[in-house]
Amino acid sequence: MNVFKIAWFEYRRRIRSKWFIIGTFGMPILIMGISLGAGYMAGSGAGLETKHFGLIDETAYFGQQLRQVLDTEYADEATPPMDLAVTEGSFDAVHAQFDTLVNDKTLEGYFVIPTDFREHPNVRLYARTSSNFRLTDIIQSDLKDILIKQKAAEYDLPDDVLTELFASVHIDHYEVGSTEEQQTGELVADYIAPFVFMFLLFLGIFTGGQLLLRAVLEERSSRVIEVLLSTVSYNDLMGGKIIGLGMLGLTQSAIYLIVGAIAGHYYDLAIVTPIIGLLYFVYFTLGYLLYAGIYIGVGALFDSEQEAQQAIQIITFIAVIPMILWTIVIENPNSTLVNVLSYIPPVTPFFMMIKIALHETTAFQVITTILLLGISVFGSIKLAAKIFRTGILLYGKRITLPEIIRWIRA
Amino acid sequence: MIALQEITKQYDGIRAVAELTVNVQEGRICGFLGPNGAGKTTTLRMLMNIIQPDSGSILFDGSAQRPAARFIGYLPEERGLYQKITVFETLQYFAHLRSVADSARKIREYLDRFDLGERRSSKVNELSKGNQQKLQFINTILHDPQYVVLDEPFSGLDPVNQLLLKEILEEMKQAGKTIIFSSHQMDQVEKICDDVVLIDKGLLVLSGKLDEIKQAYGDVLLQVKPESPADLEQPFFSQHGAEIRDGSAFIQLKARDKRQLIAEANQLFDIRTIKVAEPGLEDIFIQQVRGAQQ
Repeated sequence: MNVFKIAWFEYRRRIRSKWFIIGTFGMPILIMGISLGAGYMAGSGAGLETKHFGLIDETAYFGQQLRQVLDTEYADEATPPMDLAVTEGSFDAVHAQFDTLVNDKTLEGYFVIPTDFREHPNVRLYARTSSNFRLTDIIQSDLKDILIKQKAAEYDLPDDVLTELFASVHIDHYEVGSTEEQQTGELVADYIAPFVFMFLLFLGIFTGGQLLLRAVLEERSSRVIEVLLSTVSYNDLMGGKIIGLGMLGLTQSAIYLIVGAIAGHYYDLAIVTPIIGLLYFVYFTLGYLLYAGIYIGVGALFDSEQEAQQAIQIITFIAVIPMILWTIVIENPNSTLVNVLSYIPPVTPFFMMIKIALHETTAFQVITTILLLGISVFGSIKLAAKIFRTGILLYGKRITLPEIIRWIRA
Repeated sequence: MIALQEITKQYDGIRAVAELTVNVQEGRICGFLGPNGAGKTTTLRMLMNIIQPDSGSILFDGSAQRPAARFIGYLPEERGLYQKITVFETLQYFAHLRSVADSARKIREYLDRFDLGERRSSKVNELSKGNQQKLQFINTILHDPQYVVLDEPFSGLDPVNQLLLKEILEEMKQAGKTIIFSSHQMDQVEKICDDVVLIDKGLLVLSGKLDEIKQAYGDVLLQVKPESPADLEQPFFSQHGAEIRDGSAFIQLKARDKRQLIAEANQLFDIRTIKVAEPGLEDIFIQQVRGAQQ
């Protein structure tokens, strides 16, 4: 069977290449390195800065209280988020000075606590930019606590009652049916694992697609295509390439999943279960075949990789949608938006993989999305075959859209 | 035998090949000639089943069933190889696709014969253009095909390797293979081909045995080279309608008496060389294509 001979040739020559080895093992190391590096940077405070704000306190009470709370709250931090310069007095008397300080960039902005704050708790902020959401949240929350404490104090409540009233609430996580509290690592794994599965699927499908594009362009531009077509049929050639490079993507995914399963076992986390592994391969295969049709069709139309890559950009853009929306899917896996997106074939594998990893899907959804993808794959490969047959031998000719439509209709 | 029967191919309403009928006999080499855009490559691609004719049929030894890939060797005009794999891997891959038995030994033998034995582990892109050309030719014949189709096989080869290619084609002919061969190099066609097919604008202009075509369409010429080039101005030459080129005069013999012309020339001036020149295929080619175009 020539289709398998071609598949083996494509698989063998690429799996031995140094770029495949570097890509397979280097990419996760790079991603982990970036993640750990970013984590370290965030933890070390590098990249953070203390923002300087002013505060005009017309009450002559809340300003100092707030200052004390902030000092206590960030006493251990080398880089507290905010430094507050408190001035007691009326807005009309001092705001001109503050405006100057803001305009010459000494201050980011200044808050105003008005005289009637206790009755009408509204604080005004005058600032150069409106991107101070985190800081306004801190001020809002701390002032609310101060206000409640002040009012509570008027009832002359003992300290232990006050402590009880202001007790923080903690949420402990348990899995259903388990008596053991989940550790932070498990919670992070639960949150991150669906993204990792989707990312691996993305990586595998588009690595395979890109290789397919290059393989077709290589045969077209080196003109070896005509010798090949005198030896094997169009279908064998196209099929062999799709299978060979798909196997390469599967090999890469299998390596990652095995590493993931071993790591999960080591940390006692059930990340890669047999059913997730099986469905991963089903969605990988269908997703890859869907995109394989597109990549091979585009590869058959262009002489240079540059032109082909430009044409494929729109496809890559569509496929990036799950990468943008993954947090929404993780937090709302059964929302109408996510359910609708799960039935749009180009993004189905990615959304379904997140839902599967979250255990937030049904057998019905799995079966219907697989059927839908199967039909889409059939259409994609059939169209690609028509374009491949006609376009692959048209060297040096700029092919127009009406021509492609005519080939498809033929 | 390969028989093309009234094959027609159009692209977007433009005729590439029209009702072309050609028979290529077993054990003979058939030269496929025509100016650029004549339809040669389209015809050869149809022969190789790479594109399908709109109408007509192609028979291999009387059968419309195309023989398996291992029975056909094809060297296309637009040729190339995988650049980043070795010489041996290239040949091994195609041998594998054609189910060639004992391929490693055959590859070694051919590489040695073409003086590429020491380059078997070199990547294709490390070879010179000429060596890549040799590799492509080895790939065409490695599986010992019954039918061999070669599109411009001599382009890019040095004279030594052109000679080697000719030797191999002669061997294949002796072994009863059917060989079709297109070329613009008329001297090569004349030296190698037994039969000739000339097409222009997709239409058959003439076909037949090379000798018969030369006799039927070519003019036998008397080539006279005087001792002194000044003698080319003699009225003798203009009287006989001679064409002067390359320091010689060419007189069409047709019904003229060859001996009488030689005697006459001998009396008028000193002759350095005099000979009867066979009609050139190139002249026939140009004459026929121009004739067809008019």
